[in-house]
Amino acid sequence: MQQQLFAKLAAQLGRRQASLEWKWMNEALASAPSKNSLDDMVCRRCLGEPLQYILGTQPFGPLNLLVRPPVLIPRPETEHWAIKLSEVIRPAAQNPLSLLDIGTGSGCIPLLLCHLWPQGSVHTHGVDISPHAIHLANDNALLAGFPPQISDGDHLKHRNTFRTTLANFLAPTFPEEAFQARPPFNIITSNPPYIPWKEFLELPRSVSEYEDPKALFGGPSGLEFYEAIARFVGREGMVSSDGVVALEVGRGQAKAVEELIRTTGRVRYTEIWKDPWGVERTVIGRM
Amino acid sequence: MFRLLRPLVLRQPLIQQKTYAVTANPNQASVNVLHNIEKEHERLLRVVERRIAERKTMYSQLTDEMSTPDDIAKLKQLKESEPLQDAWDKWLKARESFQETIELLSDPDPSMRALATEEYASLTEQLNQSVTETFPQLLVPPSETAHLGALMELKSGVGGSESSLFLADLLRMYQRLANASRWKAQVVTQNELEIGGIKDAILEVKGEGAYDTLRWESGVHRVQRVPATESSGRVHTSTVAVVVLPLMEETDGKNDDLFTMDEVRVEVMRARGAGGQHVNKTESAVRLTHIPTGITVSMQDERSQHQNKRRAFQVLRSRLMDRKITQDIEERRATRLNLVRTADRSEKIRTYNYAQDRITDHRIGLTLKNLTGVLEGDDLREVLDALKKNNDEEAMEDMLNSV
Repeated sequence: MQQQLFAKLAAQLGRRQASLEWKWMNEALASAPSKNSLDDMVCRRCLGEPLQYILGTQPFGPLNLLVRPPVLIPRPETEHWAIKLSEVIRPAAQNPLSLLDIGTGSGCIPLLLCHLWPQGSVHTHGVDISPHAIHLANDNALLAGFPPQISDGDHLKHRNTFRTTLANFLAPTFPEEAFQARPPFNIITSNPPYIPWKEFLELPRSVSEYEDPKALFGGPSGLEFYEAIARFVGREGMVSSDGVVALEVGRGQAKAVEELIRTTGRVRYTEIWKDPWGVERTVIGRM
Repeated sequence: MFRLLRPLVLRQPLIQQKTYAVTANPNQASVNVLHNIEKEHERLLRVVERRIAERKTMYSQLTDEMSTPDDIAKLKQLKESEPLQDAWDKWLKARESFQETIELLSDPDPSMRALATEEYASLTEQLNQSVTETFPQLLVPPSETAHLGALMELKSGVGGSESSLFLADLLRMYQRLANASRWKAQVVTQNELEIGGIKDAILEVKGEGAYDTLRWESGVHRVQRVPATESSGRVHTSTVAVVVLPLMEETDGKNDDLFTMDEVRVEVMRARGAGGQHVNKTESAVRLTHIPTGITVSMQDERSQHQNKRRAFQVLRSRLMDRKITQDIEERRATRLNLVRTADRSEKIRTYNYAQDRITDHRIGLTLKNLTGVLEGDDLREVLDALKKNNDEEAMEDMLNSV
């Protein structure tokens, strides 16, 4: 019975990957028994559903985050650069920074930074257009131990904080409307949708049929959001004079995005970080 | 493993003389108790005596002022060996009382005899404790690895799938031993075979003394049995190689004294195409290469790269620490004896024979006729204790030879 089930999974994924995923499914069942059966899990996986949605969690750095369809699943590339960013910038509680994460999704980037940086050294804000994302990000904030809503209480002064806002970043009224966070921000982070039309059609089904297109599709060129971010950064008073911008990009987009944020006139130094697979993945700009 | 027994020419006649002095006593059997204790622990007692003699010499060399730098160094050493002196004084006193008691065992007064019998039992106990616990504890230098947990790497060897089946049995044995010893055991990684059994595995054992106890498991374990998969009933011989490493605590991938980050190459395992948002397949495998030594560690059992990297660094750190410990031991031996004995990990250390229901540890020639008990983890302790005792004795022998 078990053997048949495993064979089914192996036929879909190959033996090597199947035996790993099999193990993780069993571990997930052991830690939260009531939710699912192994049978269900394997069936869903064989239909093409991402493993992370089936298990309901994804480790991200030292955090274990909740994942729920259709919110974008945190990727290892993002984990890699977010950890690197936490090592490059070292805020201190004496001089807390404020951070805006555009298209926060599961909240993975700001929550990881809240976790890794000293307490009281950063106040993070996540915006997303998707109510699902905002809901999930709030749940993750709770899980990671960071209060999702600021009550401006004194007891929060010494903690890192994460607060979310449901908003359309592309709207001309952003950030004035419905946005409580006060610019300027010291750090802008974003893993915006960056897949261009052409590539969108070629995505694996586990991505295109399960994850939110709003989190993936970056307009015909794939650069639409970077253009908006560049406009935002270029506006007076949005980013502090010593600010840092860290943007994840798709393969082959780094140069174009670097150029975009340079044209703001505000970004003076840029850098491109490669991901662990050698792909240019993150564009860093310093004011 | 052979013993480095050097001809023992540096005999001190003290013990022997005293032992022979009491052989004229009519209570021969009772006298023999002391004689046997001294005979069995002859090596140990000789080392203690030697230390006590050194102490005496050192004491006599102190100047009257007791304040020269040389004096101060000597006084410090004397202070350090004070517990040994105390233990030796107690031993001599107990020994003397014992001999007196023996004479009273044949006293015409029955109440005196009863008293002597009681005294005799407690003194025997005390003498035994001196040689089995007090002296060894004071002589063997405290272990520098006593606080470390263990990382056990098991790899199947000759014998194909039967070797993998046996590996699963061994893994279970260590897990059970860990449970019984109140250590925390966790399988870090294992490669299961479809047909059953485990090709290789890493077991992490956390707890005080885990490394010092389990380190003797390093080497090749041989099994002789009819495999469950064998229909003709033929006995197969297969092997599993075990390497026990000291478990190093994490330092978050930062530099420590075992390596610098510049010396470690971190690689991800498989191609990922465009990566990023384009792909949501879990690709978390990581490989580390420690460039100066060429040690590589691959880890893929965790769901994120970060976790696999942490695990891999832990294994790397353990392997480097193991290397350091081995080198330290070899250097010490080399300078002492001009002889290097390496703990050869390709050496066959133990045989598990199912037909005869026995295990034999080849290093100390110990055979237990209770294979099941050992594989259940309970009786493995006995083997490990014997190995530890053997090691302590060898350490003491080294000490004696190096004086």
